[in-house]
Amino acid sequence: MKKIVAFMLTILGAVSVFAQTAATTSILSPAQLSIARAQQLIDKNPKDFEAYNALALALARRAREISDPTFYTQGEQALDKSFAISPANYDGARIQVWLLLGKHDFASALEAATKLNKRVPDDVMVYGFLTDSNVELGNYSAAENAAQWMLNLRPGNLPGLTRAAYLRELFGDPEGAAELMKMALDSTPPGEAEDRAWITTQIAHLKLATGKTSEAEELLQQALAAFPGYHYALRNLGKVREQQKRYDEAVALFQQRYEAAPHAENLFDLAEALQMAGRTAEAKTAFTQFETKSLAETNRADNSNHELIMYDADYANEPRKALEVARREYARRHDVFTLDCYAWALHVNGQDAEARKQVETALAVGIQDANMLRHAGEISLKLGDRAGAERYLQQAAALNAPDSERARELLAALSLPTSRSPKP
Amino acid sequence: MKQLRILLAMALLVLTSGNMFASSHREAPITALDRSADVTDWYAFVSYDHPDRVTMILNVDPLLEPANGPNYFPFDPNVLYEMKIDNNRDGVEDITFQFRFKTEIRAPGVFTGFVGGIFGIPPITALNGPGSEGLSLRQTYTVTMIKNGKVTDLTGGNTLYAVPSNVGPLTMPSYNSLFNQGVYSLADKVRVFAGTVDDPFYIDLGAAFDSLNFRMGVGGILSPQVDADDTHNYAPDSVAGYNVNTIVLEVPISMLTSDGKLHGPGEKEAVIGTYGATSRPKVLVRRTNASAAAFQQVNREGNSLINELIIGTGSKDKFSTDDPKNDGQFAAFFLDPLLAHLFNSVLGIPVPPPPRLDLLPLVQYMPPICPGCGPNDAGPIADLLRLNTGIPPTPVGKQKRLGFLVGDVAGFPNGRRPIDDVVDIASRAVAGILVDSVKYGAPIGDGVNINENGYGTSFPYVMPANSGRNSHHVGPGQDGCSGQPNGICPVN
Repeated sequence: MKKIVAFMLTILGAVSVFAQTAATTSILSPAQLSIARAQQLIDKNPKDFEAYNALALALARRAREISDPTFYTQGEQALDKSFAISPANYDGARIQVWLLLGKHDFASALEAATKLNKRVPDDVMVYGFLTDSNVELGNYSAAENAAQWMLNLRPGNLPGLTRAAYLRELFGDPEGAAELMKMALDSTPPGEAEDRAWITTQIAHLKLATGKTSEAEELLQQALAAFPGYHYALRNLGKVREQQKRYDEAVALFQQRYEAAPHAENLFDLAEALQMAGRTAEAKTAFTQFETKSLAETNRADNSNHELIMYDADYANEPRKALEVARREYARRHDVFTLDCYAWALHVNGQDAEARKQVETALAVGIQDANMLRHAGEISLKLGDRAGAERYLQQAAALNAPDSERARELLAALSLPTSRSPKP
Repeated sequence: MKQLRILLAMALLVLTSGNMFASSHREAPITALDRSADVTDWYAFVSYDHPDRVTMILNVDPLLEPANGPNYFPFDPNVLYEMKIDNNRDGVEDITFQFRFKTEIRAPGVFTGFVGGIFGIPPITALNGPGSEGLSLRQTYTVTMIKNGKVTDLTGGNTLYAVPSNVGPLTMPSYNSLFNQGVYSLADKVRVFAGTVDDPFYIDLGAAFDSLNFRMGVGGILSPQVDADDTHNYAPDSVAGYNVNTIVLEVPISMLTSDGKLHGPGEKEAVIGTYGATSRPKVLVRRTNASAAAFQQVNREGNSLINELIIGTGSKDKFSTDDPKNDGQFAAFFLDPLLAHLFNSVLGIPVPPPPRLDLLPLVQYMPPICPGCGPNDAGPIADLLRLNTGIPPTPVGKQKRLGFLVGDVAGFPNGRRPIDDVVDIASRAVAGILVDSVKYGAPIGDGVNINENGYGTSFPYVMPANSGRNSHHVGPGQDGCSGQPNGICPVN
């Protein structure tokens, strides 16, 4: 899910001058162009703190573009200069929160955003920061309040809509989420190719998670037509192919996506697809590469620990390592995905009672996630609660998402029906 | 006038917009987050050539760069655009005109919204049928009137097309003809136009918002010669060469007054209060079963400049989303405007002490705009652009940019026409000219006295959009100030 956050930041920060990048060709990326512009302003007037702010922001965008966190450090250095010239400047303070979110330091981001919110009470952007940091920390009620404020202050604003949509998804209302994303899409100018592709991909993801695979595929093709090679769309299309059991095509898509965005967690998807495709040796290589890359960032705030936990638990047969990473992550945040990973790590270590408590806390938020429900089912089974297991596994299967397959297999192995007959 | 808010907006906050401004400044309140619903200007006046009709102009989406392809700036299908009229002095609208837009993409494979003269596609010479093939992105709209709870579709079976931006001479060789095709005559003498046009607003924004740092020798306090000049600019018009999206509606006065009749200027029934507004569907993070039809207002404008110059920054958003009838909550801003103190300290001119009851005619029904209104007719404090429909229009050529202040009583603040210099008029009103035109009558002005593209003399009164290929803007040190030597705009 961290990609969602990263892109939401992008949307919040879409620097409009590059709105038409799809129509123009430039060797420089949007962020590089912004960096050059800001640098020019600084050269002209070294006392221009706003230029340093612009530089910091541009560096943060560059960090996202090529997934290189050293740009965040450079961004912080630029901000230091801005604050040296103008100690209390508000925009600088906002960009600081931005950098913290970009670095996935959610607790510090929340603290800083809360301070800004006290300083200027009705700044929609700050409510966006409050929403994002609270979502990532698992403070869903606070996140909901902040997102609602965004929508009340400025009806229909795009960052408000996309955040509310994500919350609806977390609260178990994917149709409602898709409705808001569609509204956001309608309000996005046709020229904003990347923004449109991102929103379209999100709608596709929501369709895919609820079994509407062909709709999802169509949307993803639209997104890729609007913004060729778009890595978010490639990822979801890969999931579509997994669902269709066209594993080799899924592998190719995940490969293409990893080339565009070489994050550790993107290797994990690739390795899993290779495994499904029966290409065991290649899968093993990919998993090993993933492990190396993921371990290198495991102590950073911006990490791939969720995937690392799943890798240790399901593929590497290292339950203790899984739990060690999960405890560390759990100490940082209590969002539903972290709770799920923590629960699964507890489960593979035989601590199923605690595991059940954690996964049920996550599911109580409302999210309908096939993997999470399947985990809850397996944990229940281990605890001897066959009825509970059946219920969770059937829910997972009924979603008809790519991850529903494993739940179906489990139900078959247990000789249980994949769906309940409707109640009279 | 809301453009200035946008100009202040940091690119950081401008979402998915085609705005070309990356200039770094403080961010304005959240209107910057929603360009397509940003009401830039609101006009209402008795039609110059039809004294029995009123024309209203709602401009939205500021500072549209004419060259900003490939899709330019369509209207937003999610925004409800509205013109509202109070005809019984209670500050609440009695008649509402609603405009809803739809977008069609006719050639999804084409890279740009508008193409013609290449690829075997004929130049765009029509909004529909032959000659319209290159209009890939095309918008239609509907007009609805709500009066006494009754909803009437004024579209009347017509398909109304919004006029696209002027891409350039190869794609649109006779743009003025396209512009004219966008004028529709509906039933009951109603006419309507929607599309991208030259922004009629004019101001030296840069100087105004550099703490009233007007160009020396020109702005601040105008010389009698500059002040009397209604045909030249002495300072750069920051809006020159930019487009705006407009909806223009002309309706018979009889459709607007409370009794359906025309009234003389001395009758209070002649006076209407008007404003333009934009709304979006109300969204709750958690869906409820309640009706999803509720709309929430995003922005509004009655009198130009009230929100920008009078309302405190911390209250601007609240002002934008609330109804005029509740404007009493902002009375303190009207009665003691900070801007007056600024004029006093920066320009060194005397201003009247608060409370500024002289400003109340802008926000209540009273003389001089409503000579027929007694003390009980004032109604609540409400930011409405008040128009005395009984005052006949001043003929074209005799209209004065300073409107009401110089005896052209068909001009602002009795309604507002595109020619009215609201910056100078409003500045002088805030400085107290209505209290004492001698003592507080300093000729404050920015030196921008005209819209260089001129003004329409008949419906739709706006001018065709600036060409994407061939137009340019005006800045300090550049060509574009016809009142200055060699036409070069002053820097200082």
